[in-house]
Amino acid sequence: MLPRNAENYIRVQPGEFAARCAGIFHAGGRLRMMFAADERETDGFMNIYAVFSSIADHGSFDIITTAVEDEGGFRYQSITPRVPAAHWYEREMACMLGIVPEGHPDLRPLVLHDMYPEGVFPLRRDITAEDIRSKVDLARDDAYPYKTVEGEGVFEIPVGPVHAGIIEPGHFRFSAVGESIYFLDPRLFYTHKGVEKLFEQVGFERGIQLAERISGTSSFCHSTAYCLAVENMRGVDIPIRAKAVRTFLVELERLYNHIGDIGNLCAGTGFAAGYAEGAELKERLMALNHRLTGSRYLRGVNKLGGVSRDVLEDVESISAELSVVTDEFKAVMKFIMSSVSHMERLEGPGFLSREAAVKLGATGIAARASGVNDDLRTAHPNLFYDRIIFEVHTRNRGDVLARMLLRADEAACSLAMLRSILRKAKPQKKELMAADAQQDARPADISGGRQALGWVEGARGSIFYFVKAAADGKSPLRVKVRSASFCNWPLLPFTVLNDIVPDFPLINKSFNLSYSGCDM
Amino acid sequence: MFGKIFCNIIKSKRVLNERELEYKNPEEAAGGLVRRDIIPASFRGSVRIRQVDAGSCNACEWECIALTNPIYDVQRFGVDFVASPRHADIILVTGPVSWSMARALEKSWLAAAEPKIVIACGDCAADGGVFRGSYAVAGGADKIVPVAYKISGCPPSPADIIKGIRGALALLCGPHKGPEPK
Ligand code: SF4
Repeated sequence: MLPRNAENYIRVQPGEFAARCAGIFHAGGRLRMMFAADERETDGFMNIYAVFSSIADHGSFDIITTAVEDEGGFRYQSITPRVPAAHWYEREMACMLGIVPEGHPDLRPLVLHDMYPEGVFPLRRDITAEDIRSKVDLARDDAYPYKTVEGEGVFEIPVGPVHAGIIEPGHFRFSAVGESIYFLDPRLFYTHKGVEKLFEQVGFERGIQLAERISGTSSFCHSTAYCLAVENMRGVDIPIRAKAVRTFLVELERLYNHIGDIGNLCAGTGFAAGYAEGAELKERLMALNHRLTGSRYLRGVNKLGGVSRDVLEDVESISAELSVVTDEFKAVMKFIMSSVSHMERLEGPGFLSREAAVKLGATGIAARASGVNDDLRTAHPNLFYDRIIFEVHTRNRGDVLARMLLRADEAACSLAMLRSILRKAKPQKKELMAADAQQDARPADISGGRQALGWVEGARGSIFYFVKAAADGKSPLRVKVRSASFCNWPLLPFTVLNDIVPDFPLINKSFNLSYSGCDM
Repeated sequence: MFGKIFCNIIKSKRVLNERELEYKNPEEAAGGLVRRDIIPASFRGSVRIRQVDAGSCNACEWECIALTNPIYDVQRFGVDFVASPRHADIILVTGPVSWSMARALEKSWLAAAEPKIVIACGDCAADGGVFRGSYAVAGGADKIVPVAYKISGCPPSPADIIKGIRGALALLCGPHKGPEPK
């Protein structure tokens, strides 16, 4: 049942790694994620993994790995100069594992702020959480070398980490000339919670609760990707009805996010009535979430091997609610789009070119609104997506307006998918009744050293998990989480150039990136 | 109490789908609850909250934002979220307090004028929640600032948060004189 979506692990010599990755990237293979694992306890060295979508074999992944040995420090040749999309991944590895990418253009510490001492690499297996804790010193002064612009008429605007509204923390340094943004240097990872290390501490089962809490409004997609990774690693194929339930909730999560985002954009332009309409409709969906799963954020449904409850039991009432949502959504869109001043404001700012989107590895709405046709639901269909026929929507303008309209397209598409899954889930249809959704398909145990990927196209873009079991098979040796926001945050400074400072909140809202999802 | 009230609001919306009913008279819709039931007299009908995200997963913030939407509309009770801690009576903390936010949280607390209280909103802020044991978090807002009141839930619903604000204010100013909400 799993011939497609294969994972081809290709081991190369350290000297060939950069060339091999660059070759795939320039031939059009998308870099999905890149990370390293400390495997000194089993292999005697660390391994770097670069995950690409295969070009030759549609639907599968080519995972290029290479060993990095300790030669008075861990070093390898950086791939960022040839594969710009690897920029943040390499910085992350340097910070978290102490693997230095030689030739990388920007090696400022990405994840750990100044209270963490130098030379402490949390994801190394030979350091415990308590060790790191004992070395944290909150009194140490902030010495992050921000990039600054000098010259006549250039002034600097520092913003954050505590912002004016109810939003997550991050620091932005604008260098402005008049009102125009000349340069932006963001500093994130204020909400870094050490989640990847924590995964290793808590074991496979409790990992689900962690995955659900990486980014609040992507709870379900994250936990689904995590479960899929562990299930793939165990070689489990979950019951068909559980797939339907997961797909349904993934689309429901996309729907409430997109509708909420469309409403929030109105707050960015000061269009209060539009914002209120959007917020109200979103609240209706949150209430539906609560009714279906007992959680407004769809938590507690996923479990390893399936789902804990069959949310599709009450097909009639869900259908009725969805038809109300469909009507209201149309009305809200009509209302918002009839405001000329709002729509005009969205036109132009936050431009992301197709070329930049591809080079920097944009994902999700950000990529598709710049004309990049990339959606995991068709590129690597899992769950129920190979049974649903749908079209990947794209837009070409690459600005705030394009992202707003694309969200509307996708929300409508999600509504159609939800209806189609509901039709299939009716009790009289035998199709989804083959196996009970709550059936637990967990096999006896996991052999040590097994590894697998799990992925989902979430509301913000692609989400990837990599899970590898430790030698005893009981706990994870490494869990790598790659959220959509981690890919898209590095784009932001490029999209605001020459826009005015007051447009920044609007541009930021149009991407709707998660801080917590990125910082973890 | 509150949970039920807000459930009713949403339910009535679903069943009746008649907007007028809820917006004509918000106090009536909220079961006869008025401003003085939430805010003690010493605050003279108005409390201001500075919300500080100290490493939350963002769901707690979304529930705070939901409080200001037209359904919960918390401003009608005289409760509002403000931009500066200097304008705030309450510092509402979410998240387990990541080390990177610890100092910013402390500064926000110091910047608020007396009398002021800290509410820890959500399981994370209460005791670290699922992130307890991580190297990167303090494990609860009370490790950094003096917490007066904890609201549990992951995330607490918007109704739970209003209930918590009411409880915290009662703690600060003594029990309410007004009638208990129905
Ligand atoms: S309490 Fe729960 S919802 Fe709130 S920040 Fe923590 S994990 Fe997120």
